[in-house]
Amino acid sequence: MISLYGIAFYTSTSIHSHQQQTVVVEDAGKLLPTKMKEVKSSHSTKELQKWVKQEKTISIAGMQHSQGGHTVYPYGTLLDMKRYNEILNFNPKEKTITVQSGVTWAEIQKKINPYGLSIQVMQSQNIFTVGGALSVNVHGRDIRYGSLIDTVNSFRLLKPDGEIISVSREENSEYFSYVIGGYGLFGVILDVTLHLAEDELYQHRISTMDYQEYEEHFKEKVKNDEHVKMHLARLSVAPKTFLKEMYVTDYVLAENQRKLSRYSKLNEKETVVLPKFMLGMSRYSEWGKDVFWETQKKHFQNSNGRYQSRNNVMRSDSTFMEYENANRTEVLQEYFVPVDQFASYIDDLRKVLEKEDLNLLNITIRYVEHDEDAVLSYAKDDMFALVLLINQGRSEKEIKKTEKVIQKMIDVTLDHDGSYYLPYYSYPTEKQLKRAYPRIDEFFEKKRELDPKERFKNLFYEVYSQ
Amino acid sequence: MNYRTFVTIQSLLMTASSMVFPFYLLLIRNIGDSYSQFGLAYGLFALTGALVHPIIGRLSDQFGDRTFILLHTWGMAGLMLIVPIIETVTALYLVQIVMGILGAVQKTSEKTVLARQSEGVQTGTKIGSYHLWTSVWGAIAVMLTGYLIDFLTIGSLFYIASFLYMIAGGLILKSVTTTSEIQEKKPVQL
Repeated sequence: MISLYGIAFYTSTSIHSHQQQTVVVEDAGKLLPTKMKEVKSSHSTKELQKWVKQEKTISIAGMQHSQGGHTVYPYGTLLDMKRYNEILNFNPKEKTITVQSGVTWAEIQKKINPYGLSIQVMQSQNIFTVGGALSVNVHGRDIRYGSLIDTVNSFRLLKPDGEIISVSREENSEYFSYVIGGYGLFGVILDVTLHLAEDELYQHRISTMDYQEYEEHFKEKVKNDEHVKMHLARLSVAPKTFLKEMYVTDYVLAENQRKLSRYSKLNEKETVVLPKFMLGMSRYSEWGKDVFWETQKKHFQNSNGRYQSRNNVMRSDSTFMEYENANRTEVLQEYFVPVDQFASYIDDLRKVLEKEDLNLLNITIRYVEHDEDAVLSYAKDDMFALVLLINQGRSEKEIKKTEKVIQKMIDVTLDHDGSYYLPYYSYPTEKQLKRAYPRIDEFFEKKRELDPKERFKNLFYEVYSQ
Repeated sequence: MNYRTFVTIQSLLMTASSMVFPFYLLLIRNIGDSYSQFGLAYGLFALTGALVHPIIGRLSDQFGDRTFILLHTWGMAGLMLIVPIIETVTALYLVQIVMGILGAVQKTSEKTVLARQSEGVQTGTKIGSYHLWTSVWGAIAVMLTGYLIDFLTIGSLFYIASFLYMIAGGLILKSVTTTSEIQEKKPVQL
């Protein structure tokens, strides 16, 4: 009996220790928990270089807010870049900064704000790492500086063979347009030199309008008015005004810039109890969505005329959106549609959504200028970018349900010469990917050419590259 | 098996089960990905226990307490080796069912032994002292684990529990079979 137990004990512990050798990692989408071999992180470039040479399969991660498994791969090694976070060089005169890729926008803002400088292009929130932002070629509220790729002077890349090279538009330029918006498939971005902007004082201009007036408002009062530097709109998801009512925030350069110093102190976390509660209600009921929309609208209308520094606009709070639920999660979608097709696009989108059951919580709209520098460029024209926040279940059935609706929405988007953003869950079909990104085959071919051993892999590559 | 061995064994069982209980709940919660699965897993345990109680009661009269306690200790020792390596919800449901049966076995045999010990004399006192010792061990185990968990992994906790069940099982194997007839002639002392 005892020896029998001994055998069972040994078997169990050896299986257990084998299981323990993996760690489960998931990204912000919470739909893809993935077993990985190990998580590695370091301050040292040498160590990163050593790991790239010795590990067979590597996924690179920053804050892991990509939601399609872009930062994970089964039984691969996760290179967590968050500790690789030094600011290497800051030149206020030249308005440039060189940072390691694990540095967050927040850390840059803290460093450059006292010098009256600001970031040119970033997401609306400042929690992300520079490396991660580059890998997904982000855009934000700024409407004057293009995509992030336009603000990058140069970077150093740790290639799959362990060699480190400098990449800019002049040097090793073939890498430039692949690595930025390259989803970590070409190597590890080590440090980046970015162009900076002047910090400025903006005045909020809020207008409420029907979606049909938006295009004209944007063309006349935003695009053609060089005093407007940033822009953000919201489209209603509340049942009473569904995809019809909008309100728009234009950030207009204040007439008296000397007042900037009064507003330049970086704001810290805001209290989020009320918006969190309201968003919570809108998750569960149509009524809640109406209340949330009306309250939010009033709140924004009251902020008409308010002054805010550029740096403070670029650090908006997202903690109220944090969502912990064992069965459900919140995922993002982003669709790009040419400015002059906006109204007809929204009409078609509404037709789809009125028939479908999708718990849509929020839509924000930004603007991106035509820019095809990155191989995987989403801005094939001057586009509006619609970010949709969707609450969904985590079960397979719920994923299928959301997939069906999202594929329909993407079809509508593509029919309007639009595109969609890649850092999200792999809902789109391969066909849709090819329509949205005509250069996708070229992208994957180049990946295999520059990384023949496929050292850098992630689930996005796994799903779409075959 | 005399009364002292019985109390020692029960204390060991109590120690082992109290030690892993909170972490076992955590494990069930983590393997299932929803509260409904958690509820189902837990409900399966309770329901199986309930349904097998009448059968076990009858069988207990037939095979004797010793066999039953043996079954429980060795069964739990084995089960505790499976728990740390469970990966799927189905496996978890199965473990919960087996655990439900083994739990019912323990509940029944614990009570039949106690009932047979005293033959109606000082029953309350005996049960009181029995519960005192087993519960004290349970309490000590929970507190100790609270400290130990910083140094141990949750997996190793289940292995320790399995080891304790195994020792308890060994003690019963070593103890002499006492039929209820002899027990009647020679009631065990505290």
